[in-house]
Amino acid sequence: MLAILKAVDVGRVYESGLIFKKRYAALEGISLEMEAGKTVGLMGPSGSGKTTLGKILAGLERPTSGRIFFAGKEIGSMSGRETAIFRRAVQMVFQDPEGSLNPRKSIGQSISEVLSMLKIPGRRWQEMTGEMLEKVGLSDELLCRYPGQISGGQCQRVALGRVLLLQPQAIILDEPTSALDISVQAQILNLLKDLQRDLGLAYLLISHQPEVIRFMAHDTIILVQSRTS
Amino acid sequence: MIPDATLCASPEIMPEAAECPDENKRQCCKREYSRTERISMSLCSAREVLRMQKMSLVGLLLFLSFVLMAVFSEELAPFDPWMRFEPYLLPGSEHLLGTNDMGNDILSELIYSTRISLFVGFAAALMATLIGTIVGLLAGYYKGMTDEILMGITDIFLMIPQIPLIIVIASFLRPSFWIVALLMGALWWTSTARVVRSRTLQVREMGFVQASRALGFSDLHIIFTDVLPNTCHVIAPKFLLSIASAMIAEASISFLGLGDPTMKSWGTMINFAFTRGGFINGYWWWYLTPGLCITLFVLCVVLMGFAWEEQERTNQRLE
Amino acid sequence: MNSRRPDDAPILQIEDLSVSFSTATGQVKAAENVCFKLYKGETLALVGETGCGKSVVASSIMQLLPNNAHIQGRAIYAGRDLLSLSEKEMSRIRGSEIAIVFQNPSLALNPIMRVSEQIAEMLQVRKGYPAAQSLELAGEMLHRLGLQGDDKMRMYPFQFSGGMNQRVMIAASMILSPRIIIADEPSKGLDGALAAEVMAEMARIKNQVGASLLLITHDLNLARNISDRMAVMYCGEIMEIGESEEIFSLPRHPYTAALLRCLPERGFQPIPGPSPSMIKPPAGCKFHPRCPNISEVCRRKPKMTRVEGRGTAPAGSESEIREVKCWRY
Repeated sequence: MLAILKAVDVGRVYESGLIFKKRYAALEGISLEMEAGKTVGLMGPSGSGKTTLGKILAGLERPTSGRIFFAGKEIGSMSGRETAIFRRAVQMVFQDPEGSLNPRKSIGQSISEVLSMLKIPGRRWQEMTGEMLEKVGLSDELLCRYPGQISGGQCQRVALGRVLLLQPQAIILDEPTSALDISVQAQILNLLKDLQRDLGLAYLLISHQPEVIRFMAHDTIILVQSRTS
Repeated sequence: MIPDATLCASPEIMPEAAECPDENKRQCCKREYSRTERISMSLCSAREVLRMQKMSLVGLLLFLSFVLMAVFSEELAPFDPWMRFEPYLLPGSEHLLGTNDMGNDILSELIYSTRISLFVGFAAALMATLIGTIVGLLAGYYKGMTDEILMGITDIFLMIPQIPLIIVIASFLRPSFWIVALLMGALWWTSTARVVRSRTLQVREMGFVQASRALGFSDLHIIFTDVLPNTCHVIAPKFLLSIASAMIAEASISFLGLGDPTMKSWGTMINFAFTRGGFINGYWWWYLTPGLCITLFVLCVVLMGFAWEEQERTNQRLE
Repeated sequence: MNSRRPDDAPILQIEDLSVSFSTATGQVKAAENVCFKLYKGETLALVGETGCGKSVVASSIMQLLPNNAHIQGRAIYAGRDLLSLSEKEMSRIRGSEIAIVFQNPSLALNPIMRVSEQIAEMLQVRKGYPAAQSLELAGEMLHRLGLQGDDKMRMYPFQFSGGMNQRVMIAASMILSPRIIIADEPSKGLDGALAAEVMAEMARIKNQVGASLLLITHDLNLARNISDRMAVMYCGEIMEIGESEEIFSLPRHPYTAALLRCLPERGFQPIPGPSPSMIKPPAGCKFHPRCPNISEVCRRKPKMTRVEGRGTAPAGSESEIREVKCWRY
């Protein structure tokens, strides 16, 4: 089976200083494959570059070495249209659920801006929003609220729902439950599992909790602390 | 756009909706968090907070009365400010603040001057804020080379001695309030740009900006709907404070005689009082009243600006 | 852990504490009829989900609630009701007799003051010790928390990691040898291993000083590891109280059982149904809409009922007895 997203020998080096460059390797030689319906677990101590790897796979940062393939094509060599498809197909959900929604936009606004970006005709908005809310298990009464007025678990569900509107094939989940209570964590993890089963999503799950990885992942990658060179 | 009206079918508070705590519970969580704040707040006593509120209220009332004075000059002023009576009249029942060297009623002059003074202040501040905000947003959002270049330009503008430059240009061109306002706007955006840039640098690293980028929104969309609304609270007080400094600068330039002699502003009034014998004769009602107006207006704007800043700071801490 | 003698009187006794807040949307009932006793030298963990009111309980003991809070009930400490003390009397008790450790150490520390000085300052101000002696004692305390060396003494909070700052906060709260330490989510923001380490140090010093610890946390495993007893809160009420190990091995209340099933090692089974509203909580037992073994009687309010604990400690002592708020007992 063809991997949706494949990383080959990916590395990321940060440089600082103007003349005397200090090089700091955040990632070195990482290879992984993400397949539809499968979860890759990513573990490692803080500072080992988990989030950086996630951002690189989501196309938010560029690797300094190595190559990333999306549906068999290297992302650097894709045409503009293909890049747009890649951007839409690979999505990311962030750690801090309350921070991942703009505090000055109501939940409804946060959702409708995605719909308008996707150029979905206005008459379908209500229907699509309803479907999406049902998928992530939220009530439509939430739409007029602001992120500060709903719980962390609900924020995370909204963030997930926004991502689902783009009909992605792969989602990078960066510590999606580490800021949540255990009862809410259980709900979100089960929701993620259900969504994966129904939609055939590929996940990269970043977590520092071995139990979470064990519960969710089919494969696991453990990063070790990077060195300064 | 469809918007929230249709999406928000039932706006009333639901008691038992989705999974976790609803609003009410969240509010109570907020209370819990604010505990640390309470300690620091108890340090600056409740009386102090109240005083702050009172001061901002006084500022607002003063500000509104000046705006009203500018808008309804015709109705408020007893005479046309260009109408000529006997010159150098002392304050009396006919002319509450007497007349000047040309025989114009000083009270009417004072009221009409509000227009130009406020206009210059607002126009300059508006322009400065606009330029500063755009420069700050771009520099902060794009970082790297864009940031270096824009901040380099900002530093250059910071080095220009502003009042002397305005004096030089104003003395070359025909004196006009438009030019003074434009010049000040073009010179005074630097501090706004810096403040907006540093706030943008903060905001752009926040989760929701990252999330918007991941979702594939355009940079413009992110800058204007995600970053800008979250920098407003630093822009607004800055805007108020630039009004104040623009008005002071306008007054100084007019006092030096580089203002527009065909228009009346508080600065030109002081200038005329100075050059036409008001100071020497001790006609304090002539030069002191416009000075008082400038001081009061600047004071009320500054009061409002401080109160706003303070409010935002508390809000932010509570968040 | 169990250094307590059965005849010990409680050092802090919370009686029928109810706290509500008036907000724009209505009265939020953050805590209702909360009763518990804290004994000398013990660690009592108050556990529950976010927003269940556990921090409100701590804040009301310290009189740190905002003005829109209505507090009822009593908190008896050394024969006095803390809730009725004036601000002046309370500020004398805060820190020196009852200390509180906050969630966010980087916010609670003064960024432009050396950490050792911040701790020493407490001794100078509260006990009138001379500067040199205070600094020495502060250094000793930091040393006990694993921050030794002159360089550490001279550092500022921003030079420390979150975990180190949390240790500084703990040192500051212990330096006046309080009789009660209230720790509100002290492990928040620290990652797993570090949290365990810091908490273990805290428990050790607590024992050295002979203080009692009221630990407020949502982390069940942390609570299990360092507490003697545990009180489980749900929607503003204590549902079950008893020895930590026992609650873990044999939860009596259906909510406790459901909460424990959410734990990673027990398979992430979520609690069915939505969390209740704090403004209009369900009538009767607050957990009944989500409870698996619901019966007609659950629509009426259950009372705290004593159940025999299996008790590893000598039986008969009051604290060894489990209390559950459920009609089944």
